[in-house]
Amino acid sequence: MKIIKIVGLAISPIFAASFAIFIGAYEVNPVLIIKILLDRVFNFFEIGDIPEKNIIIDIRLPRVVLAGIVGGSLSCAGVCLQSIFRNPLVDPFILGISAGAAFGCAVTVGFLSFLPIQLMAFVFAMIAVGLAYGIAKTQEEVSRLALILSGVVISAFFSALVSIIKFLVDPHRLQAIVFWLMGSFSLSDWKAVKISFLAILIGVFPAFLMRWRLNVMSMGDEEARALGVNVKRERLLFIVFSTFATAISTSLCGIIGWVGLMVPHIVRMLLGPDHRVLLPLAVCLGASFMIVADTVSRTITNFDIPVGIVTALTGAPFFIYLMKIGRRETWGR
Amino acid sequence: MLKVRDLHFRHKEGSIDVLKGISFNAPRGTITSILGPNGSGKTTLFKCISGLWKAQKGEITFDEKPVTRLSPKARAKIFSIVFQDHQPSFPFSVIDVVLLGRTSYIGVFSVPSLKDYEIASSAISTVGIESLRDTPYTQISGGERQLTLIARALAQDAPCMLLDEPTSHLDFRNQIEILKKVRELALRKNLAVLITLHDPNLAMLFSDRVIVINSGMKVAEGNPKEVINEEMMKRVYKIDVNIISSGENKMVYPRT
Repeated sequence: MKIIKIVGLAISPIFAASFAIFIGAYEVNPVLIIKILLDRVFNFFEIGDIPEKNIIIDIRLPRVVLAGIVGGSLSCAGVCLQSIFRNPLVDPFILGISAGAAFGCAVTVGFLSFLPIQLMAFVFAMIAVGLAYGIAKTQEEVSRLALILSGVVISAFFSALVSIIKFLVDPHRLQAIVFWLMGSFSLSDWKAVKISFLAILIGVFPAFLMRWRLNVMSMGDEEARALGVNVKRERLLFIVFSTFATAISTSLCGIIGWVGLMVPHIVRMLLGPDHRVLLPLAVCLGASFMIVADTVSRTITNFDIPVGIVTALTGAPFFIYLMKIGRRETWGR
Repeated sequence: MLKVRDLHFRHKEGSIDVLKGISFNAPRGTITSILGPNGSGKTTLFKCISGLWKAQKGEITFDEKPVTRLSPKARAKIFSIVFQDHQPSFPFSVIDVVLLGRTSYIGVFSVPSLKDYEIASSAISTVGIESLRDTPYTQISGGERQLTLIARALAQDAPCMLLDEPTSHLDFRNQIEILKKVRELALRKNLAVLITLHDPNLAMLFSDRVIVINSGMKVAEGNPKEVINEEMMKRVYKIDVNIISSGENKMVYPRT
């Protein structure tokens, strides 16, 4: 039974991606889509330059891949943050990391366009998580509620700063900034996909290698230390991995909340809290969830509605559900 | 043997020493319990020995090797600790919790090996909770959870085990069961066991040596049946007690 769940979750992105590639505003014959994809790999159909080829290869495919990578990265960040803070209600969005990253992007686009946007996103995302943690910390202890509250405050603060920048910059840059406040994959291209691999390389992959340490860290600082972990150093490492993955994701598609909260919980409910299994499968489910959410957001109306709206519509009720059952089941007290 | 010499501790902003030069030994294969009223410095002493707090002055050695400056990893191979106020986080299974005892033997980028599983499983059988191996440890009783944490400490394979009030949240039967188990382990694995306790009767029943702490100073040390007497209870706990004997055992009961 367990093995079925594991395999199911592991291959879910493949199904989600194949489903997503066939759906879109511009209808393309499914057989032609398969031909175009095969042609891309083997080059024997000689399709020529038809518009369908452009739509599939340069619009839909990068968008699906990017959504998958971003969903996986955000879920990985959610797993790490929930474990090191021993707090099942946190994710990169709630801790203000996404808003910090969005501010870094907006500042760069608005005023400092000579600086690399991903770097600025990371710097401000680190500042945001540092502030949220620093405010919540009193006498060596971080209470669960205080951390969520300070995260919400920091998130609101940085979002407000982005809104200010909106008023200050010249109008033709405005659209790019609005884009970061409402997450969307509408600007995906292959260049974005290439950048997103950084999130995998410096965020998801090292966290995956260190995934067993998350079991130890979730016992709390004193116990983890007594069990032989250099808690300060390893906590910082996990914060850097999560923040980096989030910053890269946010710089490419704006603030997308709730995925990093929901996905780890769903996997934990299905397979238990052992991070050796939880982390990789949360990455897989996060990828498929984001691909599906993005497909919904671009096909449900005639407009391309921001995917952040879709994730919030599913995430907010889920958060309330967690709060209600949480005291009993999901975490100790 | 664990040796503590002239240990002084003061909180960062504190004006007086919480520990004022405590010295004692805890040999292997024995249980040494630390008694003392609330606020006497018991917990502070415990945290200093376990390395969570840094003592300003004094020396702690195990088998003649100084331990105060060790890394968390090296320290975890000498001291295993059972904390008093363990708060479960996620519903890990018992085996997953016990495996955490192997942390100091597992590389940062690595996961537990088959050998680590074997050691964890044998620790689980040693404390006698095989049937709970795959149960979430958030769903077992307080006594069983304490046994799980003791198994985790055993899996650490460290020669010195520290237990901070291991009986404080347990019912009467479980208090006795846990301490019996700890006594058996101390002998079988030749561990130096250090326990802080509230109940002088449990200290008399289960420990080989007792150290009494009051206002940061050691006020008595030795065989529990000699150290725990009417005079000491009056002096340290400020209550009048009678000591009664039943065969080899003695009991403290307060005059009411």
